[in-house]
Amino acid sequence: MSGSGDNAYLQTFKLFFWLIAITLGSFYLLSSVMLPIIISFTLYALLEPVMNTLVRRGMNRSLAIALLLVLMLTASMLAIGFALPPLFQQVALLKSKLPALFSQFEAFLTVYVERLGAQLGIDLNLSDILVNLLSQSTSLGNALLATLSASVAGITLSMILVPLLTYFILRDYKSLRNRLLGWLPNHRFELGWLIYHRVTRQLEAYTRGVMKQSAIMAVVASIGYWIVGLDIPLLLGALTGLLNLIPYIGPLISMVLAVLVAAAMTPFDPQLIYYAIGVVVMAQVVDNVIVIPSVIANAVDLHPVPVIVGILIFGNLFGAIGVILAIPALAAAKIIFNNLYQHAYNASRQG
Amino acid sequence: MPDTIWTNIFRTPRDNQAQIAELWQATPLFAGIPEREVRELAGNMHLRRFGEGEVVFREGDQAAGAILVFEGQVEILADTRRLALLERGDFFGEIALAENDQRTATARCREETRLVFFLKQDLEEWIEVAPRLGNRFLMNLASVLARRLHEANLLLARHCPE
Repeated sequence: MSGSGDNAYLQTFKLFFWLIAITLGSFYLLSSVMLPIIISFTLYALLEPVMNTLVRRGMNRSLAIALLLVLMLTASMLAIGFALPPLFQQVALLKSKLPALFSQFEAFLTVYVERLGAQLGIDLNLSDILVNLLSQSTSLGNALLATLSASVAGITLSMILVPLLTYFILRDYKSLRNRLLGWLPNHRFELGWLIYHRVTRQLEAYTRGVMKQSAIMAVVASIGYWIVGLDIPLLLGALTGLLNLIPYIGPLISMVLAVLVAAAMTPFDPQLIYYAIGVVVMAQVVDNVIVIPSVIANAVDLHPVPVIVGILIFGNLFGAIGVILAIPALAAAKIIFNNLYQHAYNASRQG
Repeated sequence: MPDTIWTNIFRTPRDNQAQIAELWQATPLFAGIPEREVRELAGNMHLRRFGEGEVVFREGDQAAGAILVFEGQVEILADTRRLALLERGDFFGEIALAENDQRTATARCREETRLVFFLKQDLEEWIEVAPRLGNRFLMNLASVLARRLHEANLLLARHCPE
């Protein structure tokens, strides 16, 4: 390989790592308003085609955006008005059942460990450890509920920020984007646009696919939980749909939640635990066999290992939002790296 | 003075926009597309300045769109041989509008030059909002590419008659 070729590769790696550093830095700085930003961009993707149609029919741009936002706000208020009361009822029900749930689970596991010890003929003496573990999971459950409440507060803040952000994104995003990409040097201008084009196309396809997938999973799981007779089927189903955004780990968490709810039901019926697991497994089968192949046609092509590592790192750095952002961020990083590498390869061949 | 917070300071200045639209409209790519529409599109195109001897793209570079000479001269090179000299109003690299492929030649500015980039991304966004006119444009693009292919065939036949 020639010296200039080496230089091209080195420059590419440098550029890539700078991009990663800048992106992570911006994520970190914006982490408190990440949720409204994500929601606003999602709304932008949904509303932009409608806005364009209105503008082409002669409507003033700002008026078209204002009209769309008013319509959207009215629709979401109505949706929240209908959907939130039953959801809150179910959250309250879950909260009231938590102590019973854990004590029942503790008793259940202690009996099983003693039985196992007797069968093996040795004193396992695991009950202390299990009780310890369970008390930890109780605090974990409370932490989960606290996070949920904090999310509700976050959502309220978002409801104020989102319309404002969406308005400005709808009005100025494209010209701002053109301006920013216009700062690229001449020799990277086309490459920059090409990468932007590929990344946004992939992210749009991913977002649309994942939204549909979540909704389908929520419906399938809710129906499943309702059929097997589990408490709070609507809330559990909605959580299963939402957790499905997190590959590999999400479905496991929803399974644990469903099992906890099944164990907390009175009278205690161990079979219900198997049914609850069955519903999550069945929902996963539906997801993998029907939904993913048909809905996420453009699914991001990533190896499971970087996906899991990415989710853990992003989750650790940015919390719940990070977990959801991990996949699109990894997919974008992969496209950017591949394109920069291809460019460096061409440059090195030309010497 | 414009208010930088509330006015859109990112738009292409209007006189350039009109000139860009006029130049594109004179090309076969925009035949039959209404002037108002071309002007609207021109507002989103990218006008860039290149220095004398600066390379616009090299053979093998990834391509993102078609390019119009707004001012100055551009030479198209295969290795060191000059294939064409393009001036104000000429366009090149339109294959990239059909296919994000690699550039098949090198383009270099002969003097201080201003070029207008019409990117595939802009074309796709336009087609989404104006499918009928977008269709018209794609037919024009197909004709331009067919004519280039036809000329290449004639050239090939002339140089290799057997």
